[in-house]
Amino acid sequence: MSTGQLTDQAAGTGTSATSPSRPPAKTPRRPAPLRIRRARAFYVFTVPWVIGFLALTAFPLGYALWLSFTNADGLSPNTRFVGLENYREVFSDPETMDSLWRTGVFTAITVPLGILAGLLLAVLVNQPIRARGVFRTLLYLPAVVPPVGAALTFKLIFDRDSGAANGFLDVFNVNGVSWLVDPYARWVLIMLTMWTVGNGMIISLAGLQDIPRELLEAARVDGASPWQSFSRITLPLLSPVIFFQVVTGIIGSLQTFAPLLMSLSPTPAGVTGVPESNYFFMIHVFAQYFANGRYGYASALLWVLFAIICVVTFLIFKLSKGAVFYSVEPEQAKSKPRTIGDAR
Amino acid sequence: MSVLSRRSTVYMLLIGTLVLMLSPFGWLAITALKDSSELRALPIHWWPHHPNLGNFTEALTLFDYLGYARNSLTIATLYAVLVTVASAWAGYGFARLEAPGKKVIFGVLLSTMMLPGVITLIPTYLMFAKLNLVNTYMPWVLWGLSGAPYLIFLFRQFFTNMPKELEEAAIVDGCGQVRIFWRIFLPQSWPVIATSLILSFSWSWGDYIAPALLLDDARTTLAVKLATGYVNEHGQQLGNVVAAGAVMYVVPVLALFLIMQRGFISGISTSGLK
Repeated sequence: MSTGQLTDQAAGTGTSATSPSRPPAKTPRRPAPLRIRRARAFYVFTVPWVIGFLALTAFPLGYALWLSFTNADGLSPNTRFVGLENYREVFSDPETMDSLWRTGVFTAITVPLGILAGLLLAVLVNQPIRARGVFRTLLYLPAVVPPVGAALTFKLIFDRDSGAANGFLDVFNVNGVSWLVDPYARWVLIMLTMWTVGNGMIISLAGLQDIPRELLEAARVDGASPWQSFSRITLPLLSPVIFFQVVTGIIGSLQTFAPLLMSLSPTPAGVTGVPESNYFFMIHVFAQYFANGRYGYASALLWVLFAIICVVTFLIFKLSKGAVFYSVEPEQAKSKPRTIGDAR
Repeated sequence: MSVLSRRSTVYMLLIGTLVLMLSPFGWLAITALKDSSELRALPIHWWPHHPNLGNFTEALTLFDYLGYARNSLTIATLYAVLVTVASAWAGYGFARLEAPGKKVIFGVLLSTMMLPGVITLIPTYLMFAKLNLVNTYMPWVLWGLSGAPYLIFLFRQFFTNMPKELEEAAIVDGCGQVRIFWRIFLPQSWPVIATSLILSFSWSWGDYIAPALLLDDARTTLAVKLATGYVNEHGQQLGNVVAAGAVMYVVPVLALFLIMQRGFISGISTSGLK
């Protein structure tokens, strides 16, 4: 069908063959039929993005792929191909494997925890209670804080001498915990990540508000307990929203460089200040690029991470078939304005 | 009775969570009001005994705070305006026009929304370095001009739902598509424009990693300078000054959010709809 339109355009026979509803555009004054002009306009409107995608996304990725087969260091002019040498090193370097494992553990903890907590909060602020608009707004507020601001705030709370956390623990005679170094730094990072749980809450809340009220009402009339209607109606209808959070959560978490912001010297080359328990994969990438100048090896690391993210995303899509329940085709779903304020 | 106790459980859970979630803001403000001797006090002071605003003047003067704020503001405004216009432009094409290959291009657009951003950033930085665009604002101009997939999607959703008659009347009058977009569709889409401006502005204002890679110390943004700038001669961070600087950096964003929360939230929750 679409190639047919192209041939029509090339042959200059107009669109009469494929669209019987429109009269053949044979008037000599008209330069091109409406449909062809619309097609041209489509390319005019979308070409800036396509160029941007090719130049600012596709090309850099390809450039990194090329670098990953070389021994480039960003300085010396005699860069040469080393074949798969960098990739061999990725899989034999214990530091790489450890950082990958740490990132995986962090993801396995924070993503499910964040989704669960977000869902719980969404259910709570969806109850018919007073001032729920205020609760929604204030619970979401931390998610608006820029990452640097959030990291600095948590550094102050968990400061060994002047932080509130140790001040609180003092009451229980626990003194001077060094939160920002091993082995506690990972817990501070998890708490920092959980501070933005409002993101998940808002997305789950939007999903909850989309559930037809009649369904839940009917279930109650039929004698379903609150838990039954939650697990049999709400949860299945919410599954696309949860699925979305799983995918974006994992993608975001695997490439997080938040430990850098939490470290003592938060600069791309200052990765040496990151405590070992927070030495994630992306931190390792920064270290190889900006502290060691090993562009080739670091690019191989990036591509390994990219491949892992692609495979994980693909697997989630595959495994979730049957578990994710679309009541309406997403394309057909009418988007309606959603607000955090009280809609009662 | 059971309804009542259920409701009070909800309140208790919510208030408890809220206290926990808002307490970091409280500690930030308290720390910002302490002088350095009080900061070191043991046991710690839960409330500053001599609250003073000296940290704020120090935060403003220890480095050229307003200068770096201006850098942030320039980059964020430049990016927000360009990316909003460019995203509306592309969103219109995806919403209202048909052409061979549209499905494929739209599919690529949707998958780039999933593409890990930090992974492409480092090679992009190397590319900009080769093109001598490091230490200029050109990367943000280019990022802006190509539009953001997520915002394109937002505009596309909005334009798709606008009535067909709008366009048909204009076509009868002999309007081209560019004029239809510019004169008819864009002026009607101010809610999305506002959402897009706010979202892109706050992304850029909060972004740390792109300016840290692309700009040197003199030209960098407030986010980067804030993370590293407040240290004493021994390289130790001055907690109370950091707190004051962070308050001044975070409060405008929170205020913008609280004023414009409707647009903000509708934009964010639409991303969960896909």
